[in-house]
Amino acid sequence: MSYLLCAYAVTAIVLVGYALRLRAARAALLRSSSRRS
Amino acid sequence: MVSALVMLTVVLATGWLIWFSRDIEARAVGARSVGAAAAAVLALWLGMVIFYAPIEQVQGIVQKIFYVHIPAIIPTYLGFALTAVGGVGFLRTRDDRWDQLAIAGAEVGVVFCSLMLIVGPIWAKPVWGHWWVWDLRLTSTLILWFIYVAYLFLRGLAFGSDAAKTFTSVYGIVGTAAIPFVYFAVDLAQGSTMHPSNPAREGLPAEMGRTAGAGLVAFVLVFAWLAARRMEVAALEARELRTNAGASA
Repeated sequence: MSYLLCAYAVTAIVLVGYALRLRAARAALLRSSSRRS
Repeated sequence: MVSALVMLTVVLATGWLIWFSRDIEARAVGARSVGAAAAAVLALWLGMVIFYAPIEQVQGIVQKIFYVHIPAIIPTYLGFALTAVGGVGFLRTRDDRWDQLAIAGAEVGVVFCSLMLIVGPIWAKPVWGHWWVWDLRLTSTLILWFIYVAYLFLRGLAFGSDAAKTFTSVYGIVGTAAIPFVYFAVDLAQGSTMHPSNPAREGLPAEMGRTAGAGLVAFVLVFAWLAARRMEVAALEARELRTNAGASA
């Protein structure tokens, strides 16, 4: 059971972590471009 | 039926991503709908894993790790195939939008390939007694992962330069040659691999097949959503680069 939970937890961490990283990168780029304009 | 639905999702996701890459800013709203669809199918898939898929008699509950491991395969191959499509498009037209498709395919493909490589050993340990064995399927998948991690490193080292885009376009096209080798590795090994054969040809019990199918559809939709978001970031990076170049000129 612990292996199963570990596998699904890793999946959630990888996918959610990557989505959050993209969101942060997008927000930083948008902030930078709005500061310039 | 399940295979047809998965294939249809793959074709639609591929077509949508190529269409999306043509005008990222105007079509960004569509990405939210894909994200919502992905969340809905993910919830359905998780419900099927918990309540619908039976517990396999020999392996026990750890067999349910397959419902993560198998669905990660198609987004991996799809991502790397899109890198080649983007590479061909860029070499033909020198249009940055193709390059943005290529980078999104490679990066999100690496995310799913990493997931597959992490989750596989978590299943292997209780079933095989080993985290990893150097058989043809596992080793070739690891090499595939290295090929596209190297692609991302190359992109990072020469960010935005035209020469880097040209080189990585060629690299991304050549890299796809590894995909059929990885896919057919179990057949090529002729019984000398511990990895199970390709599930599509194995004839899973109906409940297991449907659950794996729901996972495949869900992961392809998640892939499409993440790749679209990555393309948005790539487009913003390109705009930033142009602005900086204009300011320093």
